[in-house]
Amino acid sequence: MPERPTQLTGALAAEASRLLACVHCGLCLEACPTYVQTGDENDGPRGRIYLMRAVGEGRLALASETFTRHIDRCLGCRACEGACPAGVEYGHLLEAARADVAAGGRKAGWTSRALRFALRHVWSHPARLRAAFALARLLRDSRLPNLLLSTKLSRLLPARVELSLALLEGSRASNGEGAREETAATSVEAEVALLFEGCVTEGLFARVNRATARVLEANGCGVKSPGGQVCCGALHAHAGDLEGARKLARRNVEAFETEGRAPVVTNAGGCGAMLVSYAHLLAGEEEYAARARDFSSRVRDVSQQLEATGVRSAGPGAGEVKATYDASCHLLHGQKAQAEPLRVLGRVAGLELVPLEGADVCCGGAGVYNLLETEMSSRVLAEKLKHVGETGAGVLATGNPGCHMQLAAGARLAGMKLRVVHPVELLDESYRRAGLYRKR
Amino acid sequence: MDTLVEKLRATLGPGQVVSEPEELLVYECDGLTHYRHRPRAVVFPTSTEEAAEVLRLLARERVPLVPRGAGTGLSGGALAVGGGVCIELARMRRVLKVDVENRLAVVEAGVVNAHVSRAVARHGLYYVPDPSSHGSCTVGGNVGENAGGIHCLKYGTTTDHVVGARVVLPEGRVVDLGGAGAESPGYDLLGLFVGSEGTFGVVTEVTVRLTPVPPSVRTLLADFLRLDDASRAVSAIIAEGLTPAGLEMVDGATIRAVEASVFAAGMPTDAEAALLVELDGLEAGMDEEVERVRSICTRHGARSVKLAADEQERKRLWAARKGAFGAMGRITPDILIQDAVVPRSRLPEVLAATYRIGARYGLRVANVFHAGDGNLHPLVCFDSRDAAQVERVHEAGREIMETCVRAGGTITGEHGVGLDKSDYLPLVFSEEDMRAMLKVRAAFDPAGLCNPGKIIPVLKGCGEARAVAEVKSAARGTVEENGSNGKPAQLKVEVNAASSNVLTGTARGPLDPASALAGVVGREHVGAVTTGGDTSALVAEPATFEEVCEVLRLAEGERWTVTPAGACAWLDAGEAQEPSNVILKTTRMARLVEHEPADLVATAEAGMTLADFNRAVGRAGQWLPLDPPGADVATLGGVLAAGTVGAQGFGYGAPRSHVLGMRVALAGGRLIKAGGRVVKNVAGYDLCKLFTGSHGTLGVILEVTFRLRPRPRREATLVARTRDPRALFEAARALAGSQLLPVAVEILSPPLAEELGVIDDNDFVMLARFAGTEGAVDYQLARAAELVEGVLKERATERVEEDEALWARLSSTQSRGDVPLEWRASVLPSALGALLARLGNYGRALTWHAGAGDGRLRVFDDARDVEQALTNLREMRRAARSLVVERAPDELKRELGAWGLSESNTLLMKRVKEQLDPLHTFAQRFDFKF
Ligand SMILES: Cc1cc2nc3c(=O)[nH]c(=O)nc-3n(C[C@H](O)[C@H](O)[C@H](O)COP(=O)(O)OP(=O)(O)OC[C@H]3O[C@@H](n4cnc5c(N)ncnc54)[C@H](O)[C@@H]3O)c2cc1C
Ligand code: SF4
Ligand code: SF4
Repeated sequence: MPERPTQLTGALAAEASRLLACVHCGLCLEACPTYVQTGDENDGPRGRIYLMRAVGEGRLALASETFTRHIDRCLGCRACEGACPAGVEYGHLLEAARADVAAGGRKAGWTSRALRFALRHVWSHPARLRAAFALARLLRDSRLPNLLLSTKLSRLLPARVELSLALLEGSRASNGEGAREETAATSVEAEVALLFEGCVTEGLFARVNRATARVLEANGCGVKSPGGQVCCGALHAHAGDLEGARKLARRNVEAFETEGRAPVVTNAGGCGAMLVSYAHLLAGEEEYAARARDFSSRVRDVSQQLEATGVRSAGPGAGEVKATYDASCHLLHGQKAQAEPLRVLGRVAGLELVPLEGADVCCGGAGVYNLLETEMSSRVLAEKLKHVGETGAGVLATGNPGCHMQLAAGARLAGMKLRVVHPVELLDESYRRAGLYRKR
Repeated sequence: MDTLVEKLRATLGPGQVVSEPEELLVYECDGLTHYRHRPRAVVFPTSTEEAAEVLRLLARERVPLVPRGAGTGLSGGALAVGGGVCIELARMRRVLKVDVENRLAVVEAGVVNAHVSRAVARHGLYYVPDPSSHGSCTVGGNVGENAGGIHCLKYGTTTDHVVGARVVLPEGRVVDLGGAGAESPGYDLLGLFVGSEGTFGVVTEVTVRLTPVPPSVRTLLADFLRLDDASRAVSAIIAEGLTPAGLEMVDGATIRAVEASVFAAGMPTDAEAALLVELDGLEAGMDEEVERVRSICTRHGARSVKLAADEQERKRLWAARKGAFGAMGRITPDILIQDAVVPRSRLPEVLAATYRIGARYGLRVANVFHAGDGNLHPLVCFDSRDAAQVERVHEAGREIMETCVRAGGTITGEHGVGLDKSDYLPLVFSEEDMRAMLKVRAAFDPAGLCNPGKIIPVLKGCGEARAVAEVKSAARGTVEENGSNGKPAQLKVEVNAASSNVLTGTARGPLDPASALAGVVGREHVGAVTTGGDTSALVAEPATFEEVCEVLRLAEGERWTVTPAGACAWLDAGEAQEPSNVILKTTRMARLVEHEPADLVATAEAGMTLADFNRAVGRAGQWLPLDPPGADVATLGGVLAAGTVGAQGFGYGAPRSHVLGMRVALAGGRLIKAGGRVVKNVAGYDLCKLFTGSHGTLGVILEVTFRLRPRPRREATLVARTRDPRALFEAARALAGSQLLPVAVEILSPPLAEELGVIDDNDFVMLARFAGTEGAVDYQLARAAELVEGVLKERATERVEEDEALWARLSSTQSRGDVPLEWRASVLPSALGALLARLGNYGRALTWHAGAGDGRLRVFDDARDVEQALTNLREMRRAARSLVVERAPDELKRELGAWGLSESNTLLMKRVKEQLDPLHTFAQRFDFKF
């Protein structure tokens, strides 16, 4: 192959060795939801890596329509990593490619421009972000979205707006309850965990954070929530704003240094995977590299933390409940939590857990992908809901707010009766039924 | 915009065409990245009809095409050389039909290999061929390459598991090749198509054979500190008559790479080699086999031999094996993966040579491969950014190939020739061999538009220059070739050899045929067949291949017609015809040329009888398990020319699946070779398949190399008898569909049962034969008796231990009538009962036998009343998948046709015949005129 000068000076150039690790074997193709949908090599991991290489070799322009289209269409689910024998770290490559594209000043559509504006001017500022979520909650709890969706009036709105309403509605507690102020009655507190709250989780799923804390406490692990923590930066990184992500990362690393080497616990797969990748993200910074490595090594999903403490099971069950589990991609491929969430569910009294075909395949939510690449997202989602329907389960557990909203919204729009929950919510409910909690 | 692209869009809709040059970039290579050829467009048909429309358009526009599945091929096969259009099957991914009872599935070509097994798993079935890429490669691509996998050692490659294919020919015509019955008469076009690497057309639907998941599986991991020891253990396992389902080797470097990947499976990283041995089958006798493998490995220096504890561990081990190639990506930027096969007995030395060659070129070599088949995959590590290394890699690669060929091997066992190895093809095939291949290719693709530039290198110094047409695609040059370090995009195809420089029948002066032949083979070897006082044919018996060729040259010059013959047991096969001028008997060419017991391979001349052959190889405890009709007298050449399956074909496979290579004399006396001498081989087209079953209409089979089997330790037959044919049939089907592994389940009519001496009253009889280890046979006889008696509701079975003669008598059954009428029919096994019922009272008074496992029926009748026979046969033919009239009065054959071929098959057969025997030297046994 003739030598070609590399035109890259950006993020991808730094990943050259990761690009070369790909031997083009194609074993990752079927793991990739977008390839399965279109059968187009450009929409598969191998093709995307090839495009990145072509950019590197100067055979393809960074700002070309082809490159941006197919990089945009990637869900970032990292299922390809799980299939790759060569250990290609696709997630890092994707982030680098997106960073280069963003820096390359491509002409973006209004949605992604709006997204970038929001990331820069809202997401990076905790106070503004809290206000934004408060507004969102106000809208959600006004039941207006629910009304629009129920009456099908929402059909009159542009599809993306309807989807947004459904997503927001999807974050509402499926049993109509908000975050309860209770604590575990029996806490031994042999260990302390530091809860990473996550902006979306705390903004729209505060109840999951509370449940997480209670469940941990009920299993003998104290929970603290360090102040000064900010958004994890995943959305920034996925949108190509690596600098924005680094800024947030530094603040989080600092915020979680107060309690020694206590584990950093998350209940959002997307955040967790991002926190784990701080080590990589800040690897080039003298001041932070070692601290980020230490931080990342302490990150674990709540299910993994429960694995460490041991999970108690407490009856009685709530009658015959058939539930199934859909793995959040980042939880699975980023945090490598495969069996742990299932084991947590296995400890929920009275729950019949049925396997879901394709549980390891992305639901199409992928952060804000559903709003940017709505068509592809809905095809991937439809496939997922079909499998969910086949299980006959009335409850679907998943460990990431983005997936949660996506699945709930999809079920809602498809007219399926499905209760979507976080696994710890189910465990939490069973503990409550068993009387393990008291009012604060 | 490109007007062709516009037309493609108009044909398929814009969403099914990719044509942006930048989006085409990713289609410039497949799993092998050394070659880059960007297609002009990629189209995504969603149905056969759409594919056909596209191909018709391309044919009109004279634009080349290349079919593509998942692009995991490792020989550059799916690249569009010369700016062709890529036909991408990835959107045809539906499993169309699963027929559990007959163990078949119909799938679209874009279905991923592993999805077939997944779709049928709940029926306890699976699809055997499992290339390491099974999670993403497509069934269409597997057909294209005749893909192998880790279980091919015992079960064969893709060609043994595909029974039918719907193919769009390059001209846009849709044909169905093969068929789901035990047999489809006519040339084995399907066998020829499998492994044609996308040069014969686009397959859109495939009918695959499913296999019951074996009730018991054991996987062993043996690790060695010396590679040599591991290879010797491999040879020993095979030589001692064990047939593992899979026998794979992973060398130290690869072990360490895999163990660092997501596929880590706990292989010891300080070992220099590991063997993965999988045994499957019945639980009975399994432990005994495990122990034998264990002791062989230990005897050959294994440090430890571990049995996978559970299904999970087993899966992990195989996932590690399958991920091995990719895992090497961790230790090297680029890999050249080679694919060569050597006789198993030569493994140790060749393996050592690969490392030596690597070292000499300063390149790291690793090996992970299908050891049981002798199918090596040396992985040569390099960095493509270093031009000097790239150069060295190619040289090292070539040297490795040459070493393998010198050891009696071949240049590819499963990855195909494609673009990568066409330069190596002359290492194993002569110009004459390759020219024959090109002619066959021209039969499928006369215009040379289908995947041009692949497999066969441009032939230099071609003698028949006038017959060679250079294919110039209208498209060439319109698209710039990217990184064009590829091969020349030109291909020479002989479009029509009929215009070649052979004698065109001009008067040459009368030549006395008898003395001319005597001049070649000696007077005492020329005889005559006389009918009614006239000499109707001369019989010549050459002693050497050269004499055969000389006779054929003579025949071509004189425009004589020739019928190749062995024992002359079935000279009137096929359509009613004028007798040939010359009957060319092979009986004086009857030597066993070579037998290498350690490799389970033997080569013999075609005139040797099957019986003699089996006696000879039997001395080493091996055999060729064939029992075709007339097995008592048949020659090897005759058995193959007829290609007919016998009763034990159910367990052992048809004649076609035992052939590894052949030497054949074509019309005009051109001697060619097809296949090779190793158990796995996909170099060039599989012409052996074409000659098998061609009834001597395309050439004279002179020599054959067979894959042998170890003679089972024990064989025994369960005989069941009853008055009620329907119940007996039901019992036989239950047995064939059970988890037991009979090698034959045959039903006999009362007269035949009596003739064979099984019984002497009016009962129908079922014979079920079992073969294997002592324990396995015992167990199966007992279970089978239980099962059959359960269905028949009476104690009606007995065992026959010395059953050899019984089965021999069955295969040599002939009709005894005054006007012999013999015919055979083939149906789906589930429909056999209905077919038997049509015989009228289940043919109680007729002589027949039928295979309950594979839907085969053979009837010996008497055609005194031709009218009646005609009516019956017409009706039977309508009811069956196929019906072949083997022996009958000419008037009946003329009226009915001997074969009942389909129109599209006939078209292709005719084209093949025109290409290989344009002057019709060989007898015309098939009727090509409709
Ligand atoms: C990691 C790895 C491991 C592998 N292991 C094995 C192995 O163990 N055994 C093995 O045999 N191979 C193996 N291969 C090679 C490869 O996977 C096989 O050759 C496979 O059959 C190719 O299938 P595909 O769908 O990718 O076909 P492609 O690569 O797309 O095409 C292969 C050839 O078939 C033709 N073709 C494709 N589809 C059609 C169609 N519908 N009609 C007609 N022609 C068609 C193409 O033109 C081309 O010539 C391996 C490859 C990789 C990368
Ligand atoms: S599996 Fe890994 S090495 Fe293979 S093509 Fe995909 S990314 Fe590349
Ligand atoms: S991250 Fe997901 S969508 Fe993107 S290439 Fe990998 S598998 Fe496909």
